[in-house]
Amino acid sequence: MKLSQLPLKNLTRRPGRTAALMLLTAFLALSVFGGSVVVDALRGGLASLEARLGADIIVMPAEAESKVSFKNLLLQGTAGAYYLDASALERVREVEGVGQAAPQTFLASLKADCCAVKVQIIGIDPATDFTVKPWIEQSYRRELQDMDVVVGCRVNADVGEDLRIYDLNTHVVARLAETGTGFDTAVYCNMATMNTLLKAAEDKGVTHRITSDGEEVVSAIYVKVAEGYDVGKVCNALNGHVRKATAVKAKSMLTGVADSLTGVSRTVALLIGAVWALAIVILLIAYAMMINERRREFAVLRLLGASRWRLGGLMLKEAALTSLGGGVLGVALAALLVFPFTTLIESSLGLPYLAPAPGRVLLLALATILATLLIGALASAWAAYRLSRSDPGNALREGA
Amino acid sequence: MKRLSIPAVIVLILALVVAIGSQTFLGACVHEDGSFGPCHWAARALLGEGCLAAALALLALFVEQARLGLYLASALNAVLGLLTPGTLIAICGMDTMRCRMVMKPAMTVLWVLMLAAAAAGCAMEYRRAKRG
Amino acid sequence: MWGFVMILRAENLSKRYMRKSGQGNNFYAVKGADLTLESGTVTVVTGRSGSGKTTLLHLLAGLLTPTEGKVWLDDSDLYALDDAQLSRLRNARIGVIPQGRSCVDTLTVLENALLPGTMYGGQADPDAALVWLAALGIESLAAARPAELSGGELRRVAIARALHQNPDVLLADEPTGDLDDENTQRVLRLFRDQAKAHHKIVLLVSHDAEAAAYADRIYRMDGGILKSD
Repeated sequence: MKLSQLPLKNLTRRPGRTAALMLLTAFLALSVFGGSVVVDALRGGLASLEARLGADIIVMPAEAESKVSFKNLLLQGTAGAYYLDASALERVREVEGVGQAAPQTFLASLKADCCAVKVQIIGIDPATDFTVKPWIEQSYRRELQDMDVVVGCRVNADVGEDLRIYDLNTHVVARLAETGTGFDTAVYCNMATMNTLLKAAEDKGVTHRITSDGEEVVSAIYVKVAEGYDVGKVCNALNGHVRKATAVKAKSMLTGVADSLTGVSRTVALLIGAVWALAIVILLIAYAMMINERRREFAVLRLLGASRWRLGGLMLKEAALTSLGGGVLGVALAALLVFPFTTLIESSLGLPYLAPAPGRVLLLALATILATLLIGALASAWAAYRLSRSDPGNALREGA
Repeated sequence: MKRLSIPAVIVLILALVVAIGSQTFLGACVHEDGSFGPCHWAARALLGEGCLAAALALLALFVEQARLGLYLASALNAVLGLLTPGTLIAICGMDTMRCRMVMKPAMTVLWVLMLAAAAAGCAMEYRRAKRG
Repeated sequence: MWGFVMILRAENLSKRYMRKSGQGNNFYAVKGADLTLESGTVTVVTGRSGSGKTTLLHLLAGLLTPTEGKVWLDDSDLYALDDAQLSRLRNARIGVIPQGRSCVDTLTVLENALLPGTMYGGQADPDAALVWLAALGIESLAAARPAELSGGELRRVAIARALHQNPDVLLADEPTGDLDDENTQRVLRLFRDQAKAHHKIVLLVSHDAEAAAYADRIYRMDGGILKSD
C-alpha cells in the first residue's frame, strides 16, 4: 500500500458519499456546459444570419406583412407566396443610390418524397445575385444549369440524386454548409428553373398568384446601396418609387432577431450564473460538512505523522478526483442532451442556432471541467485550512 | 431477502419510458390522411425493444443467479435500440419532422443511459462473482 | 546492553481551556506538570476521568500546543519545531494509541497497520505488520474493514499499528479499556516487553488496576495536577 492510494480508496470504498458529491458536481458541469453550448450556438446563428443576408435593403411585396413573414423565412424557412411583377426590379434599379439589386423568387413545395415536408424553393438570378451566390460558390463553383438545384444542409437529398418537386425531376448538384437559419431547409435554383416550377405549381393549383403572360415574377429584391449613399434615404426613396412594395432596412429586420437573441443569451447566462452561485455554495457546504464529519479520521492521520501540507494534499487529491469525475459525467450528460436535440432546441427557441464546431465544443468542455476542478479544489482547500487551525488533539477528544 | 440491484431498477424505468414514450409523447407523427410513415414502424420496433429491456430488467431484479447474463443482454439490446431509428429502420427525411426532432434524440438519450446502467450492472456483478 | 538513554521530558506543562459558559472563564486541564520518562521504563498515569490524563498524553505526543511549558524528546523541543518537522518526528519516533476509534474506515485492518510506514514514502512491510496482528490475536481480521470490528478488536488494531510503527516512544491512552482479561494481560505484557527488551519509553494512561502491576513508576492526575504516587 502507498499513501498516494489513500484518496482513491476513500472514494471507491465509500461509494454513497462519493456518488453524492460527484452528482452535485455533475449537475454544475451539466448546466454550465449545456448553457454555454446553447449561448454559443445562438451567437453563431446570428453571425451566420448577418453574413448570409449581406444586403442593406430588402424590397418585398407590400402585402407580405413584411417583417413577420420575412423573419419566418430567415428562421424557420416558411414564407407566404407573394409576388411582385418583374418590372419592380427595373423600378428599383432606377432609384439613385442603389448599387446592386438582386431578385429572388420564393415557392413552397408540396410534400417531398417521404413525410409531410414543405421545402422552400428560392430562385436566384446568377447574373446579379450577390447574397446567396458567394455562399453557393463555397460548395459549387459551376454555373447552375436549368433544373439544377443546390440544397440546404437540412434538405434530405444527396448530391447526384434527383429531387422531385411538383412532379418534375430536379437534379441536386450541391449541398450548402450549415447556417442555422431557415435557409438550411431551402432549395436554390436559377430563375428559368423557378419559372418552370412555378408553372407546374400553377397547373396543380397551388400558388395564389398566376404568373401573367409568361412574365417573370419576384418575391424579394435584395439591394446593396452604392458607396456614399445613406441606407435610410435610399430606403425611403425606394418606398416612394416602387409601387406595391415595401423596402425594409436589413439591419432593422435583424435588430428584432438580435434583440430576442440578446434576451435569450442573457436569460441563459443569468441562469448559468445562478446555478454556479448555488452550486458553489452547496459544494462548499457539502465539503465543509463532509470534512467536519471526518475530523476524527483526519486527526488520526495527523497523529500518525501526516503534516498539515501532506494531509491537505490528500484532501485536495480526493476532491480533485471527485470533481474530475463529476465534471466529466456532467459534460457527458449535457452533450447527450444538447446535441441530439439540436433541432428541437432551435425550433422551440425560434432563433438562428448554429451548433459550435467540434474544436470549440471541446474547448468549452475542457473549460467546464477545469472550472469544476477549481471549485472542488477551493472547497477542499478552504475546509483543510479551517481544519488545520485546530490542534489534532482537540479533534481526537470529540466523539471518541 | 433478495439483494436489490440498482442498475436493474434504472434499466426498468428507462425501458418503460422507451416502450410507452415511443407510442405516445415521444412517438412518431401520424399523417393527416391517417397513413403511416416509416417512422411508425421504427416506433413499433422501439416498443418491442423497450418491452424486452423491461422484461430483462425485471428478471434481473428477481433472478439473482442470472444477473450478469441479463445485464449483458440488456446492454446488447440497448445497442440494438440505439441503431433502430434511422440506421436499421428509416425515419423521416427532414430534420424538422417530429420523429427526427423528438423521437430519435430522445431514444438516443434513453438507450445510451440504459447502456451505461447495464454496463455498470455488468461491472458490479462481475466483480461480485470474482470475489466469490 | 544499551549504551544510551532516551528521555521524554515535560517542563512546567500547562493547558488552559476557555469555558464557553459559566463564571470561571478558564480552567486548567493540566497545570504545571513536570515529568521525565526514560527509555526502558513503563510509566503509568492513573486518575479519575476528567482529571486531565488524556490532555497530558496529547501534550506529550505533540498533538496539542501547551499554554505554558515545554516538551523535550532528547534534544528536540517539540513545540519549537515547525509543523512539518514535528509531524515527521512524530511519525518516526512517537507511537500514539488514542482513546476511541482510531482506524481509517476505508482501509482494511492490515492497511491501517501499514499506514504510518507509508506516510513518508517508505516501503510497506505487510509480513512484519501481520506478525504484530498475530501477537495481538487479530491476524484473521487482516482483510476486514474497521466497521466490521468490535471495540476491543479496534483497540488492538491501534496497538498493532503503533507497535509496527516501531517508535522510540509509546503513548497509550486507556489501551486496555475495551479488552477482556486475557487480552489485557497480553497487551500489558507486550508494552512491558517493549520497554524492557526493546528499550523504549512507554507511558500508559489507565485507571485499570492491572496496568499498575506492570509499572516501574506510577503517577496520579487529580484536577489537572500530576503527583508522583
